Amino acid sequence: MKNQKVATKGKLLLPAASRPAKVTIRQIPSGVRGLDEILGGGIPEYSFNVIAGTPGCGKTTLAHQIVFANATAKNPALYFTVLGEPAMKMLRYQQQYAFFEESKLGKAVRFINLADVVLEQNLDMVLEEIIKQVKAANPGIVVVDSFRTVVRKVVATASELEMQSFIQRLAQFLTSWQATTFLVGEYAQEEMRDNPLFTVADGLFWLWQVQERNSVVRKLQIIKLRGQASVPGMHTFRITAAGLQAFSRTLGLSGSKTKPARRHRLSIGVPELDAMLGGGLLEGDSLLVAGPSGTGKSALATQFIAEGLRRGEPGIMAIFEERPEGYTQRAGMFGLKLKAGQEKGLLETLYLRPLDLSVDETMQEILDAIKRVGAKRLVIDSLVGFEMALAPGFRADFRESLYRMIGALTGAGITILSTVEVEDTFDAMPLSHYTISFLTDDIIRMRYVEIDGQLRKVMVVVKMRGGNHSKDIREYVITDKGVVIIHPRRTDYTRLTSGLPDRVGQQEEAAPEPKATR
Amino acid sequence: MSRAPSKMRHFATRLLAYETKENPSSKADPAAVFDAIEKLRPQLTTLMGNAGFRALLSRALSLAQAEVRWLRSVQVKADGSWEGLDALPQVSPEEMAEGRLALLTQLLGLLAAFIGENLTLQLVGEIWPKLPPDNLNFDAGE
Repeated sequence: MKNQKVATKGKLLLPAASRPAKVTIRQIPSGVRGLDEILGGGIPEYSFNVIAGTPGCGKTTLAHQIVFANATAKNPALYFTVLGEPAMKMLRYQQQYAFFEESKLGKAVRFINLADVVLEQNLDMVLEEIIKQVKAANPGIVVVDSFRTVVRKVVATASELEMQSFIQRLAQFLTSWQATTFLVGEYAQEEMRDNPLFTVADGLFWLWQVQERNSVVRKLQIIKLRGQASVPGMHTFRITAAGLQAFSRTLGLSGSKTKPARRHRLSIGVPELDAMLGGGLLEGDSLLVAGPSGTGKSALATQFIAEGLRRGEPGIMAIFEERPEGYTQRAGMFGLKLKAGQEKGLLETLYLRPLDLSVDETMQEILDAIKRVGAKRLVIDSLVGFEMALAPGFRADFRESLYRMIGALTGAGITILSTVEVEDTFDAMPLSHYTISFLTDDIIRMRYVEIDGQLRKVMVVVKMRGGNHSKDIREYVITDKGVVIIHPRRTDYTRLTSGLPDRVGQQEEAAPEPKATR
Repeated sequence: MSRAPSKMRHFATRLLAYETKENPSSKADPAAVFDAIEKLRPQLTTLMGNAGFRALLSRALSLAQAEVRWLRSVQVKADGSWEGLDALPQVSPEEMAEGRLALLTQLLGLLAAFIGENLTLQLVGEIWPKLPPDNLNFDAGE
């Protein structure tokens, strides 16, 4: 195009290359693990934010964490306390958190009490005092805690217009002074309507502490954030000695690499089963092993991990029902040396049975371990135990979160084997009461069958998304080598899936494991 | 009843010795008896407000009054200023020094109890930046 200028509906636009660059909104870290991911990268610099929620939900701790993550002597933080928690108590309690750096107090983090001005003076004087302190300190971060108490004073003594004007002037001044601001306050969501504060604010961080049955669940939502895309929805968070940790609904996996086009086959550690799977599991597949208690699901999972270790593929075992020592011991009985893998840093066994964990929090533990060892294989044993370890309030989110995690991990090329216990009935062969088969690529079903006065075990590959697989129902035993599929039987049966098969044809054949003779 | 440990008393003694050396008039002048406390006042008022500082000072005075009798003629007014300093009873310079020490000890003790020794020392270090680092330690000279 010869003409460098482009006309659009009467307006002259410069070509993209010669147009002035858009403003770059820098982001500052929140200092809260997981929160930057939820915010879409961090907190927009110079933004004017509200941290709202009910008492005890972690507002002040969040504000402190942001302050300590960013304040330096050159770019300090001013923390104005008003009529909320007295500064002495704030310091007393907040210093218990790991993020609280005492050396920052005074120079980098400065606490200023505004209570006297709020109580004894008018709004103009409050603003004047803030302006005076901000001009003197030139801070990068300003916090007013609790801003609600300032507003209460306004409501009691001044008009709504005065309040609106005060908020407007405060926001304008602090933004012009290049400070990223956080107003902390106890608000109920119903107050969001008609409150000018929420209109003026660039960011609105809402924290909840919800009681569900016997559990307390902490959640946060970024209701509003101008200038960048935050992750929508409610995210759980936890407060520990380290401070807040947030768990994004995307589990921080939104930017993970995608599944490779050419995928290798992975041995499951049982050669006959590999053959049934068409040569092994496809790398990056999610395999569900379903069966009743005692059918060898955990044994198979251990063989899968051990085979990976043998081939130099690191793995993670997230176990929820059995103690790790028992797991390792049983693997040893099968001749599988899990301990050596653990010692070399190629295997981590996560025993996750804490109370009140959220799904995302548990998954974060798994993801952290995967990153630590560079895992290629993951075992979740079992989904039932996983669900039971969660706070009741989180169980409703279980399938959704599991779907997100499995999707993201398999997308990144990690091969997952999950076990699920299903109750055997003798008239049907259910796969899983979770209805989660939609998130698995492959399904192996194990079950008991009654044959010749013995309760034997059979398995079948029910589904394999990536290719053809054997349709045979194969009998197997659990020996000192783990799960061993025995040679195809010469005797034919029908209705094996019912558990009560009918023999077709008569073949004299020895039982795979000897029957009692007396 | 003194709740401040003896190390706090040792620390207050060293702080007052330094303050007297820096400002010799404060030892002799009864009106300047609480000079060290007055130096702490702006910092603590900024941190906790007038009301917060007044409450803390009143508590420290109440504890110190149990140790030093003449302090009972002193009160903290509603605005945080002193009452009774201009009409102190006749006391010896030693008793005066003892009252001065007791009040500072109790105030520092309360601060350490609430915000911890580290933050208290940090605060003192900001107010007396030239205080030798060896002196900025509760355990030194005990």
